[in-house]
Amino acid sequence: MADPIREEIEREVAANKILVYGKGTKDQPRCGFTLETIEFFNRFGYPFEVIDVLENVPKRSALSEMTDWPTLPKVFIAGKFYGDTDILGPMAEQGELEPILADTFGGQRPAAVVKLH
Amino acid sequence: MIDEATLAGLLRRSIPDAQVQVFDLTGTMDHLRVSVRSRAFAGASLLDRHRMVEAALREARADGRIHALEIRTEVLE
Repeated sequence: MADPIREEIEREVAANKILVYGKGTKDQPRCGFTLETIEFFNRFGYPFEVIDVLENVPKRSALSEMTDWPTLPKVFIAGKFYGDTDILGPMAEQGELEPILADTFGGQRPAAVVKLH
Repeated sequence: MIDEATLAGLLRRSIPDAQVQVFDLTGTMDHLRVSVRSRAFAGASLLDRHRMVEAALREARADGRIHALEIRTEVLE
């Protein structure tokens, strides 16, 4: 039987190329690791979404089961689970993350370096 | 709050050859960075290495002895 919480998560993951489930929002992170993750993605300049699940215990449980990952934040890129900045940081250092992001955004350069005029 | 010996002991229950270093990030021994080296990480993705460490520390996470944890892993040659 379909689980509405899981369906909601699957919809959110499908709708956002970079998605962070965290504690607090982009403007008001309520956890040091969530803040660190926001700062991490700000450096790359690609758009990303943060969904606050701090108070949503059933959704946190569903997320943990789906990813086999007990902690927040949880990062999805192009629908795939990548853990947190403990995973993404070393990937970035090894030069593995940028190609994944570039591929995810279809070769579009990040907004931060696009000149509009 | 947890001490280094206890944390290393928990890790070695499931990762017997683990070489463990603990860094206290806040002076309260509950926000930690743990560095784990083991042969058991060979061939495992970073995600799976972290899952192994988290699984070993599950009870100390659940009872609050560890509040925040950064994990570094390295394959022991």
